[in-house]
Amino acid sequence: MSTQLPEVEVLTDFAVREHRSLWLDAWRRLKASRTAMLGLVIVAVFLLSAVGAHFFWNYDPKMDLDYNAKLRAPNLVSTPEKPTIHIFGTDKLGRDIFTRVVHGGWNSLRVGLVAVGISLIIGCLLGLFAGFFESFDMNFKEKLVLMSGLGLALGLLPAWIARQWFQVLLFGGLGAASVLLEKKLAHFKLTRLLFALAGMLLGGVSGLLVAPLVGLVCAVVGLMIGILLAKPVNGKAFSSITMRIMDIILSFPSYLLAIAIVAFLGPGLEKGMIAIGVVGIPIYARLARSAVLSVSQKEYVLASQSVGEGHGRILFKHVLPNILSPIIVQATMGLASAILSAAALGFLGLGAIPPEPEWGAMLGDSYKFLSSGAWWAVLFPGLAIVFSVLGFNLLGDGLRDALDPKMRAK
Amino acid sequence: MEPLMRISDLKTRFHTQDGIVHAVNGISYDMHVGEVLGVVGESGCGKSVHALSILRLIPIPPGEIEAQEVWFAGRDLLKLNDSEIRQVRGREIAMVFQDPMSSLNPVYTVGFQISEALMLHKGMNKKQARERALELLNLVGIPEARKRLDNYPHQFSGGMRQRAMIAMALSCEPKLLIADEPTTALDVTIQAQIIELVIRLQEELGMAVMWITHDLGIVAEMAKNINVMYAGFIIERGSVHDIYHQTRHPYTLGLLGSLPSIDEAPGTKLISIPGLPPDLIGLPQGCPFFARCAFRAERCRLERPVLEEAGSPGHTVACWRWQEIDAEKLRKAVGGAL
Repeated sequence: MSTQLPEVEVLTDFAVREHRSLWLDAWRRLKASRTAMLGLVIVAVFLLSAVGAHFFWNYDPKMDLDYNAKLRAPNLVSTPEKPTIHIFGTDKLGRDIFTRVVHGGWNSLRVGLVAVGISLIIGCLLGLFAGFFESFDMNFKEKLVLMSGLGLALGLLPAWIARQWFQVLLFGGLGAASVLLEKKLAHFKLTRLLFALAGMLLGGVSGLLVAPLVGLVCAVVGLMIGILLAKPVNGKAFSSITMRIMDIILSFPSYLLAIAIVAFLGPGLEKGMIAIGVVGIPIYARLARSAVLSVSQKEYVLASQSVGEGHGRILFKHVLPNILSPIIVQATMGLASAILSAAALGFLGLGAIPPEPEWGAMLGDSYKFLSSGAWWAVLFPGLAIVFSVLGFNLLGDGLRDALDPKMRAK
Repeated sequence: MEPLMRISDLKTRFHTQDGIVHAVNGISYDMHVGEVLGVVGESGCGKSVHALSILRLIPIPPGEIEAQEVWFAGRDLLKLNDSEIRQVRGREIAMVFQDPMSSLNPVYTVGFQISEALMLHKGMNKKQARERALELLNLVGIPEARKRLDNYPHQFSGGMRQRAMIAMALSCEPKLLIADEPTTALDVTIQAQIIELVIRLQEELGMAVMWITHDLGIVAEMAKNINVMYAGFIIERGSVHDIYHQTRHPYTLGLLGSLPSIDEAPGTKLISIPGLPPDLIGLPQGCPFFARCAFRAERCRLERPVLEEAGSPGHTVACWRWQEIDAEKLRKAVGGAL
């Protein structure tokens, strides 16, 4: 009988485990969720087909006409009467719906991505700054940048009235002056009056070069800008002004606002992107701000300050990475709603300009033929919208679970 | 000898909706090179706020810092501009915070966070900083430091995180380390290890340490001098021996008396200080400890006591009646109330 040595068990520190990063961890959890993977597959199919169609499948919507094959039901085999195969049928001009759905995907997804990109970048930056400067006061440089930027932006109005673009620079300078002179004018009671007069002079004199009436109008506008620019705003004021503007945008029904913006800019896919993007800004701004507010109170932010890091580093290196996960989730969900909004604009004829294929516009083109039994002309673009939105929503849901820190232990 | 740091009449206030909170009310003291100073007091007595004020880490507004001077290594910290004070933070005065669970950023590796300060202040490149971070982790006694460099904070235990924080604080060889209750969130064995570590490092590196705590036991072990704070005032200051054996302020007596001791005869009652610290918005006109003091007199209500030398050199106390006070009397005075 041989004595068996007990197997040596290697003890490891329980805290030492396989080294993996946050994102790798999240990816593992995402992979484990079936619905999220379904969403990912749907999204991937749409993205690949849209990108593939755009680059490798030539399609000229202007030349696509076939009066012999108007409103044909889907046919999968070639017959003598119907020699061409249309798996999704054809629309009122005899265009193949399958081709248009695939190519329309490029337009719809592009609108979604660009619109979300616009609202994500602008909204996040606004939210980041608003949240950050709620707890940290602005230093001199930041105030200088903010006030001159504000001056430049406000200066656009008199500059546009007088068609003198150099006025923008004048008012930008006035904004900078209010910061530069802040200390010197601290005990001067009539700062507002001084800046009102300065603004009035700047606008009035340059306006007079054009015409007396223009000079008068510019003087009035300049006076008001002067009053606004007189006192540099502090962090709290900047935050609340930004967020109130966001509230104003949010108070409009989003579709109505998007339609109004497109009506102002004129129809077209690019205009649609801007409109949908602008409408989405406040959502990201609010989300980012609230996340920044809670992260700013964390001790590691204080710790990074105590190591001597500046505002920029703290904000972008320590705060931003910690608020990314809710923003990523919101952006994925936002893609779904941006695609829906794009379709809605297209349906109303405000998105893509006609022969250009776009899912919403295809619906708008064909719904009149439903009563004549042409269900395919509406069904397929409709399904494309439904599935792409579903895909992004499922993916977003999955991401929310995957990125939730409370789930991290699993 | 020129002190390392001289604080004169430091006041920190917060402007809130309910009124002005007087968190620190004119404290003055010197710290010398290599000195270990304990700052003790109960929650809300201004210990942490005064430390944060030195580094100007108080958000302004709502905060407001005012002082005759906060002299540190040849210049007044309150007169520095933004980028100059940032050069002081981390490089000359470093800080360790209370909660090791949240003082490391969860999205970066520990090694990266230690090297960050080095790259910022010492202009090291990534590789040098990483090597130095490794040395530092070894210095603070983290086993298998090379592996641990690439760990995320959640893979560290609380004690290890605090060690990592100390490594981070020491990275630029500061002249002064401010430790703001660094062991409060840790259990007793880890606490002892951390204290030992800081004492060892202090001796090796010769830096000054300000140890903020509410635990008188800890400071007795390590500090040379002690500031006892109450309601934003320093009410007693002296060497460890003075504070423990020649206690002059009734509040300090109360604090010491509230600690159980192994040497005491069984049945000895602990002293408890009745009442609560005063509201920092409306401080009493006289002594801030008046309402809770067993030795109070009419003068204490009307006039605020100032720090005066009591007995031995360097031992100061802010009490009108310090000469009449000792532990026995206090025990008798509060004994009846227990």
